[in-house]
Amino acid sequence: MGSGVLGSRSGEDPCRPRFVCAAALAIVIMVVGCGNRPAAETGLRVVSLVPSVTEIVYAVGAGKVLVGNTNQCNFPEAARSVYKVGDFMTPDLERIVALRPGLVFLALPIHRQLLDKLNEMRVPVYVSRPADIPAVLKEIDTVASLLGRKAQGESLVVVMRRRLDSIPAFADTPRVYVEISGTPLMTAGGGTFINELLARAGGRNVFASSLQEYPVVDPEAVLKADPEVILLLHPDMSAQDVAVRIGWGGISAVKHSRIYGRLNEDLLFRPGPRIVDGVVLLAKLLHPGQ
Amino acid sequence: MKAIELSGIAFGYDERLLFEGFNLDIDAGEFLGVIGPNGAGKSTLLRLVAGLLRPSRGSIRIGERDLGVLNRREVARAVGVVLQENPFAFDYTVSDVVMMGRNPYLGRFQSPGKQDRGAVNSSLEFVDALFLRDKRINAISAGERQRVVLARALAQEPGILMLDEATSHLDIAHQQLIARILVQLNRRGKTVVFLSHDLNLAALYCSRILLLDRGKAIACDVPERVITAELIRSVYGVEPIVTRHPESGRPQVMLPVAAAGRE
Amino acid sequence: MQRRLLPGWVGLILLLVSAAALSVAVGPGGFTNFRAVMDLRLLRLALGIIAGGVLAVVGASLQGLLQNPLADPFTMGVASGAALGASLTLVLGRTAGAFAPVGGFAGALVTMLVVYALARVRGRVTVTGLVLAGVIMSFLFSSLVILVMILGRRTLGEAVYMMMGHLGAIFTGTTVWLFGGVAVLAVVGCAWLFSMSRSLDIMSSGEEAAETLGVDTQRVTKTVFVISSVLVGVVVSFTGAISFVGLVVPHLVRMLFGPEHRRVLPGSFVAGAGILLLSDVLARNIVPGGLPLSIVTALVGVPFFIYLLRSRL
Repeated sequence: MGSGVLGSRSGEDPCRPRFVCAAALAIVIMVVGCGNRPAAETGLRVVSLVPSVTEIVYAVGAGKVLVGNTNQCNFPEAARSVYKVGDFMTPDLERIVALRPGLVFLALPIHRQLLDKLNEMRVPVYVSRPADIPAVLKEIDTVASLLGRKAQGESLVVVMRRRLDSIPAFADTPRVYVEISGTPLMTAGGGTFINELLARAGGRNVFASSLQEYPVVDPEAVLKADPEVILLLHPDMSAQDVAVRIGWGGISAVKHSRIYGRLNEDLLFRPGPRIVDGVVLLAKLLHPGQ
Repeated sequence: MKAIELSGIAFGYDERLLFEGFNLDIDAGEFLGVIGPNGAGKSTLLRLVAGLLRPSRGSIRIGERDLGVLNRREVARAVGVVLQENPFAFDYTVSDVVMMGRNPYLGRFQSPGKQDRGAVNSSLEFVDALFLRDKRINAISAGERQRVVLARALAQEPGILMLDEATSHLDIAHQQLIARILVQLNRRGKTVVFLSHDLNLAALYCSRILLLDRGKAIACDVPERVITAELIRSVYGVEPIVTRHPESGRPQVMLPVAAAGRE
Repeated sequence: MQRRLLPGWVGLILLLVSAAALSVAVGPGGFTNFRAVMDLRLLRLALGIIAGGVLAVVGASLQGLLQNPLADPFTMGVASGAALGASLTLVLGRTAGAFAPVGGFAGALVTMLVVYALARVRGRVTVTGLVLAGVIMSFLFSSLVILVMILGRRTLGEAVYMMMGHLGAIFTGTTVWLFGGVAVLAVVGCAWLFSMSRSLDIMSSGEEAAETLGVDTQRVTKTVFVISSVLVGVVVSFTGAISFVGLVVPHLVRMLFGPEHRRVLPGSFVAGAGILLLSDVLARNIVPGGLPLSIVTALVGVPFFIYLLRSRL
C-alpha cells in the first residue's frame, strides 16, 4: 500500500541517492494523498445491499470502496461490474462476510434478519430508510460522511436542492392515478415515495388517502376518482392496453389520451441521487409545455 | 350348462404368477364354496371372474360368452358381487343404495321406473330389510348393512352371485340369516360362489367346495371329499378333528387345543 | 327426503338473486358515470356466477369421484397450476390482452397431464393416485407462484391476490369475448358433469363396487378429471385461486338435499354462485380497497366447517 521502496539496502553507493529520492517522493505523495482521504477510508471495504445507496456511493465519488453490491445495483454503469452478493431481496450472508466488509449498507424491514446477524458478528452497518425527499438529502450527507466524502456530499445536495427549487409552481394540480400492477389493480398509497414525488411535481395522487403502501383498488374506485393522468409503472403495459379497458372510456385521462407508460421506474422508486430526475420527469408529463 | 368357465388362466400382481394354467368349471345352479389360506388367491379369483382384473393369459366365459367382449353393464347384469368392505363416503338411504343395483339397466339420462322400484323392493324384502328402506346407510348395524349390500347385488337380477367373506364380521345369528338367504337364492336357480374362511359354514351349505392354495386348485368336489383331515392338514398345516354335523351329516372341522411347544 | 327439496331450492335461488342484486347495487364507485360502473359490475356479476358455480360443481363432483368429503379443485393441483401459468405470463410481461387467461389455461392443462401421468399405475388411474399426485402438485405450484412473483420482481401483494382470488378482473374488448367463450364452456362442462350424476353416486361406494355395478370407473374418472381441470383452469386464470367455495358449498347443499348428485350438482352451482357473490360484496365494501376473496370465504367457511365437523362427531 504505497510504502514505496523504503526497505533499502545500505552499502550500495551508486543507487542510494535514487532510493532516498524515491522514498521521499513516495512519502510526499502519501501525505498529500492522505490529506484528501482520511485513514479510515484507505482500508475501508463497503458492501451495499441497497441500489439507491449504491448510487449515492458513486455520486459522491467513492465507488472504489465498494467491494460488493446486489444484482439490482445497476446504476451507474460501473456498479454493474462489482461483485454481486445476491438479490436485493435475498442477499447471501456468506458472500457478504467473505468480503470482510468494514461497512454494510442495508434497508429495513427487508433485511431485518440480516441486520440481526451482522450485529451479532459486530459488522458495522448503516440502515437506509428514507421516508421522504428531505430524508434522502440527509442520507446523502450521512453516507458521504461515512465514506469520507463530506464535501462531495454537501455539494451534491446543494445541486439537488437547487434543481428542486427551480421547479415552478404550476397553475394546476392534475389528479393522477398511479398503476403499479394490472392484475389485480394496484396503486401507490399515501406513504410512498412516488406519492411525494408526485406532489413535488405538481400532481395529486388520487389514492393518497390510503393507509396501505401499495393497496389493491377496485376499478370502480378509479372510475370514481376520475384521474386526469394515468401513470403506468409496470412493464410492458402500454397506454393502448389501458385505453381499451371496458368501462374506462369515460375517465378523463383516457379521453384525453394522457396515459403514460414505459417510464424509467428507477427514477421514481429509488430514494437516491436521481430522485430529482424523477420529479422533473413527472413534472414534464403532468404539465406539458410549462 | 356352465355358468362360469375359466381356461388356462395366468395372472400375477407382479412378475411372479399367482395363477398359472388355471382351469375351473362352475355349473349353473351350483352353490360353490371357495376356501383356502390367506394369499391362496380366493379374492383374486373372484375379481378375475367379475372382470375387475384381467388375466394375462387364458379366457373366462360367463354362460357361453367371453368376458373379454362384454362391457361393464352386460357383466353387471350377469354377475352380482358382494365385497368384503363396503364403505359409503356419503349418507345415502338404503333404498338409494339398492337402487344403484339397477344401474346396469338404466340409460344415462333415464330415471328409475316402476320396474326398477319393484326390483328394489323385492330385493329388500328377500333379505328381510324392507323396514330399513328410508334409513341412512351409515346409521344401521353391520349385519343390516351386509343384507342391504346383498339386496343391491340382487337388484341387478344376476344369474350368478359372488360373495367375498360376506359373513366374516357378523354374529352367528346374522351368519345363519345370510346363509339361509343364499340357500333360498340357490334353490331359485341362482349360481352362488361363496368365498369364506369359515370352513364349517361352507361345508354345511355348499354343493361343492374348491380348496385353493397358492393359486392351485387342490381339490374341487363335494364337501365330504374336500373337508378331510389329510387335505386340511396338508394345506393349512393344522391337525384338524373332522366330525359330522348331527343334522345333515356334513363334515365339520374342529381344532385341537393348541399344544404349547409345537412349532 | 322430499320435504326439504322445495324450500331448499327457494332458499338457494333467493340467495343468488339477492347476492346478485347487492353486487350490482353496492360498490366503491357509487353511481358516478352510471353506464361505465354498470358495465364493470355486470361483468363482475357474470364472472362471479361462473366462478362460484364452477368451483362448487367441480368440488362436488370431485368429492363424489374421490369418495372424499375433503376433495376440492385444489386437491387436484389444478387451481395452483392455473395460478402458476397466469403468474408466469404476468411476469414474462405479456399481461396485455388475452394472454393471462391463456397462460392460466395452459398451466391447468400441464398440471392435469403431470398429475395424470404420476397417478397412472399400469395404465390404470386410481383415485388414490390422483389425490396424492394432486396434493403434491398443489403444494409445489403454490410455492412456485410465490417464487415466480419474487423473481419477476413483483410485489408480494400481487402474488397474494393470485393465490387468494379476486373478481376484479379487467376486461378489454377481446377478453370479454374470451370470457364469453369460457362461460359457454363452463355451462357445457357443468351440464356434462350433471349427466354423470348416477355414476358419481355409485362411485362414492368405492371403485371396485362401482365396477361390479356396471360403471366404467376408468372412463368416469378420466372424464371428470379432464372436465374439472379445464373448467377450473379457465376460471382461475381470470380470478386467481379462490379457496373454500369448492370445499364447503357442496356440503351445505348436501345438508339440504341429501347426497344424490343429480340434486347436489345443480344446487351447488346456484349456491356457489350466490355465496361467492355475497363474499365479494363483503370483500369489496367492508374495507376500502377491498380484501382478497379467499380471506372472506375462509372466514365464513371455517366456522361453518367446524360446525359440520362437530355435528358429525
